[in-house]
Amino acid sequence: MDNKSKYNKVFIECFSVKEKILSKDLKYNSIPQWDSVGHMSMIAALEESFDITLEMDDIIDFSSYNVGKKILKKYKIEIN
Amino acid sequence: MIDHVTEVIPGVSAEGYKNLPEDEWYFPIHFPNNPNVPGVLQLEALAQMLTVAITTLPGNKGKITHALSHQVRFRKEVLPKKKFIIKTRVNSWKRGICDGFGQGIVDGEVACEANMKITIPEILEKYLPKK
Repeated sequence: MDNKSKYNKVFIECFSVKEKILSKDLKYNSIPQWDSVGHMSMIAALEESFDITLEMDDIIDFSSYNVGKKILKKYKIEIN
Repeated sequence: MIDHVTEVIPGVSAEGYKNLPEDEWYFPIHFPNNPNVPGVLQLEALAQMLTVAITTLPGNKGKITHALSHQVRFRKEVLPKKKFIIKTRVNSWKRGICDGFGQGIVDGEVACEANMKITIPEILEKYLPKK
């Protein structure tokens, strides 16, 4: 599975959403599922999926689907 | 819903018990002629004990905890004059969220068990995106 598919799978499974909703408009608190607990579940799932540990500042900055892609670049994970 | 905590391994587990004398306030109304401990109070006992396992970690003493989600299974009625033994364990504790499991045991049998998620909001909020 490529990185984009893995990245999308985390969002789809954590937030129980369809792939078509994954866009620049998907942001923290933009859907009920992406609340505080959903945020932590999604971060934990990303860490497990990509075998990384996100720094605290990156967890705070991870405010949208698109921003998340940029953050993962810091961890040498390219999502195209 | 806890009388005594008998053993704590901070961040790992907590155990204790609650005695159930006949004069507990809820027995006359839950239910007349068939007194037993309300399920919600059994669950509360488990959740409180799980909280003990977390708030005994360094830096967490006195912090407020909130329930996030619980999934509980009740297996038998819990009757007056019994001792309700409470055993909980922490499955994970990360960034202010605790995932754990607990059992309420009476006369050596499991009366209820629950998967529980609790949080210390003060810690959790430090990790959230700013609106």
